[in-house]
Order: sequence, then structure tokens, then C-alpha cells
Amino acid sequence: MLLGITLCTTAQEGLQINEAFEGKVIDKQCMQESLVKGENLKPYKLEMLHTVKFAAGSKDREKLNALFTKDMEERISDDDSNMEFESRDGYIYYAIVQLTDNKKGRHRYICYQCKKKSSYYDITLVYMEGTASLADLRKTFKK
Amino acid sequence: MNKVTQENVRELLRLYMEGVGTQKELKLLREYFNTASDLPADLVSYAQMFAIIDEETPVPSVEALNRFSEEQMPAPRRHILLWPLLAAACIAAFAFIILTPPKQKNDMAIAYVDGKMLNDKALAMQIGQEALQEIFSNGNEEQQLTDLFNAK
Repeated sequence: MLLGITLCTTAQEGLQINEAFEGKVIDKQCMQESLVKGENLKPYKLEMLHTVKFAAGSKDREKLNALFTKDMEERISDDDSNMEFESRDGYIYYAIVQLTDNKKGRHRYICYQCKKKSSYYDITLVYMEGTASLADLRKTFKK
Repeated sequence: MNKVTQENVRELLRLYMEGVGTQKELKLLREYFNTASDLPADLVSYAQMFAIIDEETPVPSVEALNRFSEEQMPAPRRHILLWPLLAAACIAAFAFIILTPPKQKNDMAIAYVDGKMLNDKALAMQIGQEALQEIFSNGNEEQQLTDLFNAK
């Protein structure tokens, strides 16, 4: 099983934030994680969805913020159709970024959310691939 | 030495018997013993020897030899050479394995909760959807206000 999840995360290889998905920033034991591939995602026009959610201290939050910021350099553009971004106090509050495609017609997205709680930060990270546009994803998942 | 005389026949015989005589000398000796009429006693045995040599050995015809071999030789066993067939089958199987694109195991749904890996499709989908809904709803003013209020 562990081998399965390791092999399937290769799609994120090359991304800085992959460290977080691999449990190198926050231990996997303290994470809530999901990895979905294939037919299950067809209704969303996605092929892969990898999410992790965990609580982080300020140091880890700083590191995650730096990693995600580096990956944002691979974004397609700052245009609204390719990106949503909001920061607070110099840190990313939430971001949805479309990266340059590594396969024709298959879009890649990384998403980050950092919510401040009383003594920690609630962090959610998402990596996804598929033919869905950002507009499609907004339509599907925006409440 | 075109004609062998009684005087030198002994010398030619000596050379022949020692194995150093030439073909030409042998021919001369054969001619001599074929034509000689009054041989001395010591050469009679040689005359008999050359008579035997000169007798033509009957050579069997090709047909006779073939017939003989057919009669003597056991009927050939019909060998079915299996190794070329096996080799061809192996090559075909190898090519099939190599050339057939592997079926990609695309479908996967794994959740990892409380340090436990769960092969639970529904749970994995639920966690994934909730994460996406949470992130994509950040653009809502109401959601942002709620977050700001909760952060205080």
C-alpha cells in the first residue's frame, strides 16, 4: 500500500511542495491524506487528486509557505483564469495555481490553504491533474 | 628406361618393394610381367603378384550400391525438429510481452487517516472533495469573514 501511494505521487515530482506530500515537513502519521486516480474522478474531468491536511506550527507554516511560493514560479500566468491568490500578513492565505502542463491537454494545479487557529495553522494542500479548466473546477467545488 | 629388360627388372622390383619406385617404373614393371614369356624362377612369384594387381576389381554400380544401402540401412526415423518450433514460440511470446502496452492500473482511491492507510474509495473521495470545496470556497466573502472571525 505504502509502495502504491509512493509510486503514484511521482506526478508531483519536481515540485517543491512534494516534500509536504511525502511527509517530510509534517509526519504522515499526523496527516489526513487522500489519493484518488482514474474513473472515480471522471465526473470532475480530473485524472489525479492528491490532498493532504494537517496542523502545523509557525516554523512549518513558514517552510510550507516558502515551498509553495517557489512552485508558484511555474504558474502559467497571474491571470484570474489561471490563478487565485490571497495573502495575509505576508503569508499565503489561500492559492489555487495552474502550473504549466507537462503533457499536452493535461492541466496541473496546486492549491494551498492556511487557516489560523488559536495555537496552530490548519493547512490544506492539493495537487491535481486533468483536463478540467480552473473555471470547471470553480463551478464544481465552489460552495 | 623405356623397356625393362631381365637385367634391370630386379633393380626396379627392389625400388618398388621399398616403396620408392615411381608410377612410371611401376607401369614398366606391369608391362614387363604382362609380356614376359620365359621368366626366371625368382621372378615368377612377382609375375603372379602383378597379375593379381592387374585384375580389375569389379566395381558395383551406383544403383546396386543404393539398393544395398536401402536393404541394409534401417528405415530412417522421422525426426520432428521441435527446437525451431519452441524457439519460434518463445520469440512470439517474448514479442507479445514486450510489445503489448501494460495495462495501466489507473483506478486508485486511498485514504490515510490517523496513521492508517485505508483502501476506502468513498472515504478517499470524501476527503478529496472536502479539501477542494474548502479551498475553492475561499473566494466567498462570507467564508472569508467566518475565517477571520475564527482566527481571532
